[in-house]
Amino acid sequence: MVDTKKIAVAGAAVVLVAILVTFATSYMSDFDTPRTSTTEGEFQKLELKQAPVLGSKTATVAIIEVGDYQCHMCKLWFEETRPQIIENYINTGKANLVFVDMPFLGSDSIPASEATYCADDQGKYWEYHSMLFTYQEDEIDGGWASATRLQAFAFNLGLDIEQFDKCMTTDDHFARVNYNKQVAVTEFGANSTPMFMIVNTDNGKAQRIVGAHPYSTFEDVINSLL
Amino acid sequence: MKNTFGIIYSKPFYILIAIGIFFFLFLPLIIVSEFLFLEPFLAFSIYPETTLSFSLIVTLSFLSSLAVSMNIYRVKLIKETKKIGSSIVGTIVGASAGACSCGPIAFSIIATFGTAGSIVSSFLTIYEIPIRLTSIGILGIVIFVTSKSLSRECKVKF
Repeated sequence: MVDTKKIAVAGAAVVLVAILVTFATSYMSDFDTPRTSTTEGEFQKLELKQAPVLGSKTATVAIIEVGDYQCHMCKLWFEETRPQIIENYINTGKANLVFVDMPFLGSDSIPASEATYCADDQGKYWEYHSMLFTYQEDEIDGGWASATRLQAFAFNLGLDIEQFDKCMTTDDHFARVNYNKQVAVTEFGANSTPMFMIVNTDNGKAQRIVGAHPYSTFEDVINSLL
Repeated sequence: MKNTFGIIYSKPFYILIAIGIFFFLFLPLIIVSEFLFLEPFLAFSIYPETTLSFSLIVTLSFLSSLAVSMNIYRVKLIKETKKIGSSIVGTIVGASAGACSCGPIAFSIIATFGTAGSIVSSFLTIYEIPIRLTSIGILGIVIFVTSKSLSRECKVKF
């Protein structure tokens, strides 16, 4: 007779090995070179010209953030690290910030990204961006970024709701969001969020940062590129 | 119980096993949970919101190291593998919690399994704390039961 306990132990061991293999392959892929030449030291100018820029467009350093509005590590970075970067580098004109959407965590991620561009049509991209991260809740697709809530955010920012609704229902910016996701994955080699490319726009030198690093990391990287 | 720990960890071999298991779990978990970063510089950071999560990782790794090393001792002593399965289950449950988040593992799971992967990833992220607490509970019970059983069996053996 087969010992069920031995089978359970063997099964548990197999699961443990599977978890470790998944971890190892996923983590090691972070060390892979991005699929194009967009890597440290060889940053190529991408078609992100229409992307809203926070700060001076002529700043020496561009901070490109790849994120998903449902990612809680992005929210942590937004709350803990971003304010210091804004104060010390963006407000002083040394750097600017661009957000590249990589909506992959849930079905509400794409509409949330689209909504930011619908807000951008009315000149309130960064306000809407901030509102999404401020009111982000733990549960992915838990309703906090549903169509009704996205509309409520727009209302709270004083946007023209009729224009916003039309923009959302006609998926005006769907292609743009998909393009951004494609750029994030293929050009930046992103496989997690948040991920950052810090670029010196004068000489093209760049440094990739994966994860919600503390301010000290950004300080070191930005200073080395200034 | 104190006596059992004294007997097991008086042997350097089991202390080394416990230390090895602790770091084998602790290091991957703090990297996956984004407490420790290896690139571009070695950086360690805990945000106020993630202090509890970090404490649970430390506790989980510590209890796993005790549970597994005690069970290895038990297996060597009485050639029985009955309780080692529970400690592995407890470890797996705890290690899987919060391993998803928005990191590369979540990306792999979602890219491979689509909506189902997204649901699993979301579940593991939302219930990270309760899952880790459950795992700690399982490991606590395993340690207690193993210790009791060892002290009983040792009395019989010696």
